[in-house]
Amino acid sequence: MAWVTDFAPTTVELNACIDCGLCLPVCPTFGVTGDESASPRGRIAAMRAVDRRLVEVDERFAEVMGLCLQCRACEVACPSLVQFGRLMEGARAEVAAQLPDWRTVATRTVFGRAIASRSAVVLLSWVVGAVQRMHLASVLPGSAAKATALRTIPLPVPTTAGHEWLPEGEPIGTVGFLAGCVMDQWYSDVHTAVIQVLRTAGYRVVAPKNQTCCGALAAHEGAAYDAAKMAAQNVEAFDGFDLVVVDSAGCSAHMKGYGHWADGGDDLASRIIDANELIATLLDADLLPHIEGDTPIAVQDPCHLRHAQGIAEEPREILRAAGYSPVETDPAGTCCGAAGAYQLDHPEMSAILGMAKSTQVRATGLNLVASANPGCEMQLKAHLDSGTVVAHPIELYWDALRSR
Amino acid sequence: MHVANSCADAGRSGSEVFTLPHDRRGDDPGRYDVTMDPTVELIDLLGASRVHTHPVDRIIYAKDSGVTAGDPAVIVLPDTTEEVAAVVRIASRAGIPIVARGAGTGLAGGAVPAPGSIVIVLTRLNAIEEVDEIGRTAWVGPGVVNLDLSRALADRGLHFAPDPASQQSSTIGGNVGTNAGGPHCLAEGTTAAHILGVEMVTADGDVVIVGGEAPDEPGYDLRGLIVGSEGTLGIVTRVLVRLIQNPPDVVTMLLVFENIHQAAQTVSDIVATGLVPAALEMMDQPMIVAVENFMHAGLPTDAGAVLIAEVVGHPAGTVVEAALIEEIGRRNDAREIRTAADDDERALLWKGRKNAFGSIAQSAPDYYLSDTVVPRTRFVDVLDEIYAIAERDGLRLMNVFHAGDGNFHPLVTFDASEPGMSEKVINAAHDMVHAAVAAGGTLSGEHGIGLEKRDLMHLVFTPEDLDAQARIRDAFDPEGSLNPGKILPAGARLTEERDA
Repeated sequence: MAWVTDFAPTTVELNACIDCGLCLPVCPTFGVTGDESASPRGRIAAMRAVDRRLVEVDERFAEVMGLCLQCRACEVACPSLVQFGRLMEGARAEVAAQLPDWRTVATRTVFGRAIASRSAVVLLSWVVGAVQRMHLASVLPGSAAKATALRTIPLPVPTTAGHEWLPEGEPIGTVGFLAGCVMDQWYSDVHTAVIQVLRTAGYRVVAPKNQTCCGALAAHEGAAYDAAKMAAQNVEAFDGFDLVVVDSAGCSAHMKGYGHWADGGDDLASRIIDANELIATLLDADLLPHIEGDTPIAVQDPCHLRHAQGIAEEPREILRAAGYSPVETDPAGTCCGAAGAYQLDHPEMSAILGMAKSTQVRATGLNLVASANPGCEMQLKAHLDSGTVVAHPIELYWDALRSR
Repeated sequence: MHVANSCADAGRSGSEVFTLPHDRRGDDPGRYDVTMDPTVELIDLLGASRVHTHPVDRIIYAKDSGVTAGDPAVIVLPDTTEEVAAVVRIASRAGIPIVARGAGTGLAGGAVPAPGSIVIVLTRLNAIEEVDEIGRTAWVGPGVVNLDLSRALADRGLHFAPDPASQQSSTIGGNVGTNAGGPHCLAEGTTAAHILGVEMVTADGDVVIVGGEAPDEPGYDLRGLIVGSEGTLGIVTRVLVRLIQNPPDVVTMLLVFENIHQAAQTVSDIVATGLVPAALEMMDQPMIVAVENFMHAGLPTDAGAVLIAEVVGHPAGTVVEAALIEEIGRRNDAREIRTAADDDERALLWKGRKNAFGSIAQSAPDYYLSDTVVPRTRFVDVLDEIYAIAERDGLRLMNVFHAGDGNFHPLVTFDASEPGMSEKVINAAHDMVHAAVAAGGTLSGEHGIGLEKRDLMHLVFTPEDLDAQARIRDAFDPEGSLNPGKILPAGARLTEERDA
């Protein structure tokens, strides 16, 4: 049957890989298992086998694809410039289309539909917020107890879309702002910090009302048609903005790849900028002040910032400007195992990687960690001692700026 | 047993370039009478997650970095020497051939599994143990990644010298199997010079140790025999490696030339002075362009060729040696000579060189990489012949060389979906090997023989030589179950003729 969707990996894309194997050592799941079937090259071999009609998209194929974290560390190691993230999204779309079991249907409903709907996220957020306040998390089973690693959700649940903020002082321009799905309500402190810092620099910040979730989680989980729809809606919503600021690494990485997802996607993709990139540029241009200080802070790199976008120096620069002295935890930048829905899907692998990461953080002896992605933050908190504080670099910068 | 649809065309080139199996007494491909399905026993031993039989897994494990695909029946991932031995005993009882595999980065097809074989993946045997800082040795698992070993030893000021371009991925076990080389083997010697002993599982499933820490072990040097044997004499489960002290000073230079003859002449002149640099590497223009596209290392894409030269040792010595190389370069009209200012610049130069093979996929979907050695005095002549062969067949050729020791890596990029193209490329590659051998060179510098060079062995060995090698193999593996079809060509044994 081979492939059935418009999103399937193509022969040309698959042939970009020449089987050199230089991706193996950077793949977190290969590192844990030593198994070629858990490596980027092995996964491409499996996709190629389907493409050549040697095997079907079956349970084993789904398992091989499912174990991938989609961290995209392999793309950085690849001398042939294989777009592995895109191939994996295509393969996941095929699995979802050809093997629609209850679990994939449930996942697709959550990430493809529910999070695109503001009322559904608000409802969920309200429930989680209430659970947090009643200290019920300890009685919840397994992965639901992860909610303890979440920040306390403010009640009533806030929202950013449909608002605009005027600059403070000399205006330098207008930027669009992605409200996002869970980011909007569960990490509203980060949104506030980014918006306030941009205002300080002189930006008018506009979060258009008709925007939706970026679709990254839907794409990762194989809900490709939903992801395409969300991309199309955002292309329309952000029309006319020269620059669109995104403050979650997973979202900015995904939107920079919108060319694969919607007509006009390339154009919006070229206007997407991660908040870390923009604020580091503003610091370089002295449009934002540097605050003195050298408090040591451990740094964790979100994969979709460092591997997918090559953004590693910028968050460190922001931390230095906030009066911190960044301490490295992992020169290779290996995935912490959070990886969106992965921690629910593959708790065992996720925990192995989370523990490895927390061991590296503990080795610094610090109880303050900077991480620029909500998923990583949850994972770090779940695996570190309760006294450890995990914060977004821009949040720390905003704190430093306003308490000046 | 689960050997349904053939995976013969699982490779990216989609064509079966070499056939398997080939070798074995009587060279009878139908010799393996599989008497029982070992899967149940293997799962009892290792658990279901470390035993694969699904068609997808059999395709995933069908090949290495080379061009040919095989077709294994079962893939196992043992954790210990004892588990490897138990797997070998199960396979032996069932009459099933065994193929050992590390990271699968080999280019000569050494890890391509014979039809119906059991692939033993050794990546999980990756402990670094018993590091002797004074004696400068360590026992390591075959699954330890080459570069990881040197990284783990960095704070003790030691490293493992062989540094194949694949070193970020390839395993010590694979390095032992192929007697791997690398840029720094010019001064330090190939893997064989850095392996003091191995623990291995024999064809019957016994565990033996050959070699040892003494500089000259009594008896036959079986260790020397195992290194480069590509898993045909035993399955190596632990390796006693020799470690080298990190040099106090390193000078890495990039010499840029208008044409490849100037670069080649520079190599010959350096070698003629008696100076042995730590490394002396060359890339031609098409290769420079491909590498620069990926690396952005600032390589001059309009240059005809570049040389990377490295000298190591005490600063007093490296200064003199670097000056000598610079003088020779200038005499041969080097248009530019750069010296890496620090470790980062040095790392970037080497990263460019070591990513060379991977980066060529940008120019065509398939590639064929050869590996031959020529006497350094004939370097320029053979190079001209190799370019002429490519031109004759209208093929795109790029070249990377371990120039210092005359090791050529001509690399042809092509599109295997064009009818007849794969065969044309293989023929051209064979002609290149012929040219090297005719000039007094040999078949392989460092990649091993595997499948790729097996049928060319007669170019450098007499029938008597091959027969002697076959008898050695039979002594270790009388049933012919260890990596069948590799190294020795069909008809390697003279037994029948002699008996007649």
